[in-house]
Amino acid sequence: MQLLLVYFIWWSVFQHQQEVFGYTTASIVTYILVAALLRAVVLGTRVTDLIDKINSGDVANFLVKPIGFIRFYVTREVADKLFNIIFFIAEVSLLIFLLKPPLIIQTEFANLLLFSLAIAGGLIINFCLNFIISLTAFWVENSWGPIFLMSILLESLGGGLFPIDILPKALFNILMLTPFPYLIYFPAKLYLGGMSFSEIAFGFSVIFIWGVILIFLTKAVLHAGFRHFSAVGN
Amino acid sequence: MDPVISVNNLKKYYQVHKKEPGLWGGVKSFLNRKYLDVKAVDGISFKINEGELVGFIGPNGAGKTTTLKVLSGLLYPTSGNLSVWGREPFKREKQFQTQISLIMGQKNQLWWDLPAMDTFILNKEIYEVGKQQFEDTLSKLSKMLEVGDILNTPVRKLSLGQRMKCELISALLHSPKVLFLDEPTIGLDVVAQQNMRDFIKEYNQEFKATIILTSHYMADVKELCKRIIIIDKGVIVYDGLLEKIIEKFSPVKVLKVDFEKEIKPEKLKEIGKVEKFSKNFAQISIEKDKISEKTAKLLSEFAVADLTIEDPAIEDIVREIFETRQ
Repeated sequence: MQLLLVYFIWWSVFQHQQEVFGYTTASIVTYILVAALLRAVVLGTRVTDLIDKINSGDVANFLVKPIGFIRFYVTREVADKLFNIIFFIAEVSLLIFLLKPPLIIQTEFANLLLFSLAIAGGLIINFCLNFIISLTAFWVENSWGPIFLMSILLESLGGGLFPIDILPKALFNILMLTPFPYLIYFPAKLYLGGMSFSEIAFGFSVIFIWGVILIFLTKAVLHAGFRHFSAVGN
Repeated sequence: MDPVISVNNLKKYYQVHKKEPGLWGGVKSFLNRKYLDVKAVDGISFKINEGELVGFIGPNGAGKTTTLKVLSGLLYPTSGNLSVWGREPFKREKQFQTQISLIMGQKNQLWWDLPAMDTFILNKEIYEVGKQQFEDTLSKLSKMLEVGDILNTPVRKLSLGQRMKCELISALLHSPKVLFLDEPTIGLDVVAQQNMRDFIKEYNQEFKATIILTSHYMADVKELCKRIIIIDKGVIVYDGLLEKIIEKFSPVKVLKVDFEKEIKPEKLKEIGKVEKFSKNFAQISIEKDKISEKTAKLLSEFAVADLTIEDPAIEDIVREIFETRQ
């Protein structure tokens, strides 16, 4: 539904123009479809149900058992993503079949490799961000607010609705230092190709640094959370 | 032999914030939050040997469950040392976690929509129990608990008693050496309570398991535990044999008398403290060292049809301990 909406907005923009913000009809349509794929694969997480588990005290059931806490959630996340991808393929096949839009099919191996690498980085960042915020439930009574706020940030600043390089240059440069654009915008751009080597190198460096910081933070917060845990509700 | 569980000066404090009622109270507590330390467990020490079955009793909020949670590695102690099977619970090492089981009567671990069997298989994988061992333990436990045909019914369709049995099986499939049972008989009817007690006793003997049991029902403790630990307001009030508690805490004996005819209760006051009285029956508590003197006096002054001298009921002693500590 959201995919259709975004698709038709851009469709009407391109009714009278061949090129907008340096994007052609084919490249913007491809961007939108790839972004939708990335939303299904990268965004969207079920880690957040940890919040309810912590609030109700059910998380205790886990803590007494020999289960790797992070490993459990990573495994479930992967299963969930596979599920999402199946639905995505069905949805997009239907769309392509009905609307027959112009598309760019990337065949360059290097681009596809970089695209996959960026997705892997995005997955780690998204998982850690959601996990850390969910873990705050150990301290505060309601963590859904921050989760909601972050999902909006990820959607908009991450490039789910539009490619963020159409924003003013200064804002764009600042955004590229945050983790958000690396979930959708950056991999989608890699798929389209045409980025310079320095842009790509810069992007992966930022992913790497954020990845390290967030993984470290996740472990630290988890550890602190266990210490603070009071196993409420008997 | 080293004790299986050893606890030394364990403390667990919770921080709770206070809020005055109402919206304005909410704003005030948001701007200037006041915290209160709740001393759930305040410096307790004890040792438990292998194969012991110890009863943990105390009123609501005494710190029983908190102690069990700290012992099973759920909670981080505020201070103090503890070891269970030579390991610190809070580190939650695999070698520790596969040795213990925490069973809470008010909390279920079974998958609500699936038959209990599915949870069992999941637990088999989590605890890495071999196929043969799994089947042996399962058939042994099902026989002891007389389940069998309910294992393939979705848990939501089971009665509370049946569910508790399945809970027990799922918590015991990995043959834990140490068991923490928190109110295992809560909410069960008398028959189911008795079944549960029989099972706990049998399990303790058959598997040489070390068990700590908390309960509100003195009947549970009386039947199962030789040793009890009484805890109140986070400190241990008594730790020792169940039968010794009478000696220690109760300086009185209870005299139950049937009289041949109706008498006036006022006259009994010289004998001792009248606790119950009805027409021609009286229950009188008398200090131990005066028991023969007072009984003689009673026999000489009244026409007595029947008379027994008993120790006070453990329930009464425990209640008195808690009440005098208020």
